Amino acid sequence: MNEGDTLPTVEKTFSQDDVNRYADAAGDHNPIHVDPNFAAGSQFGRRIAHGMMIAASISEMMAQAFGQDWHKSGRMKIRFRAPVFPGETVRASGTVRSVRQIEDATEVAVSVQVTKANDEAAITGDARVRIE
Amino acid sequence: MAVDYSKLTTGQIVSHHTYQLDEDMVGEYLGAVKDVSDLPPRGDGRRLAPPMSMAALSLRGVVQDLQIPGGTLHVGQEFEFTKAVTVGSTLECEATLAQNSVRGGMRIMVVTSTVRDADGVEVMSGKSTIMLPENLLSGDDD
Repeated sequence: MNEGDTLPTVEKTFSQDDVNRYADAAGDHNPIHVDPNFAAGSQFGRRIAHGMMIAASISEMMAQAFGQDWHKSGRMKIRFRAPVFPGETVRASGTVRSVRQIEDATEVAVSVQVTKANDEAAITGDARVRIE
Repeated sequence: MAVDYSKLTTGQIVSHHTYQLDEDMVGEYLGAVKDVSDLPPRGDGRRLAPPMSMAALSLRGVVQDLQIPGGTLHVGQEFEFTKAVTVGSTLECEATLAQNSVRGGMRIMVVTSTVRDADGVEVMSGKSTIMLPENLLSGDDD
C-alpha cells in the first residue's frame, strides 16, 4: 500500500427500518432517529440515521482493506458534518495519506469520508492502522 | 430523576456497565449496518466481532445514564481499538466526563470511554463530543 492509493469503497442505503434496528441494537432510541413527529419539529425536519451507523461503513471499509490489523490496532477520528436521511445512499471512501515504519510495524494513515449522492460530506476524518 | 447537566463535573464517571457482546446483539448490529465483512474465525474458532459493534455498546450506557435528550447532536467521535474482540465476550464499559461547557446556547459535553474485556485488558478507548441545545434542556422552546 502506498501514499495516494485509494481503498475499495463501501456503498449502502439505509432504510428507516435499518435505523430502527440499529436503535434497538445500540440501545439508542433518540427520537430524532425514530420518532417522525419529534423529528418533524427538529432542525432537520425529519428523522435522521445515527451518526455511528453511518460511521460503521468506514470501519467496514478499513476492515476489508486491513483485516484483523484493523480490529487490533485501528484508530479513527471523525467529524459528523451533515445528517443522513433514511433512503439516502452513502459511500465510504479512503485515500492513503502516509505509510511509515514505526518500530516493528507499518502504520498506514488514511483520509476517510462518507459522502452522500449529492457529494456532500456526511463524515470526514482520519483513520490509522498498524500492520505487523 | 432528571440529569442536571450543569452539575456534572469533569472527571466524573457518568456510566459504568458490563455487557455481553452476544450473538443476538452482533447479529442485530450487522443486519442494521449491512456489514458484509467476512473475516475468517480465529484459530480457536471464535468469530471476531466488528469493532464498531463494541463502540456502539460502549455508548449505550452513556446514552441511557446521561438521559441524552432528543435533539442532541453527536458532532465528533474518536476510537482506538487495541485488541480484537470475539462474539460472546463480556465487556466492561466505563465513561468519564472530560468536558462540560456552554457556548452559544449549546452545552458541549465530551465523554471519554474505555472498554475492557473479562481479563481487564483494555480493548477500546473512545472520545465522543455531543452538543445539547440549552433551551431543550430547560424546556424553553423560544
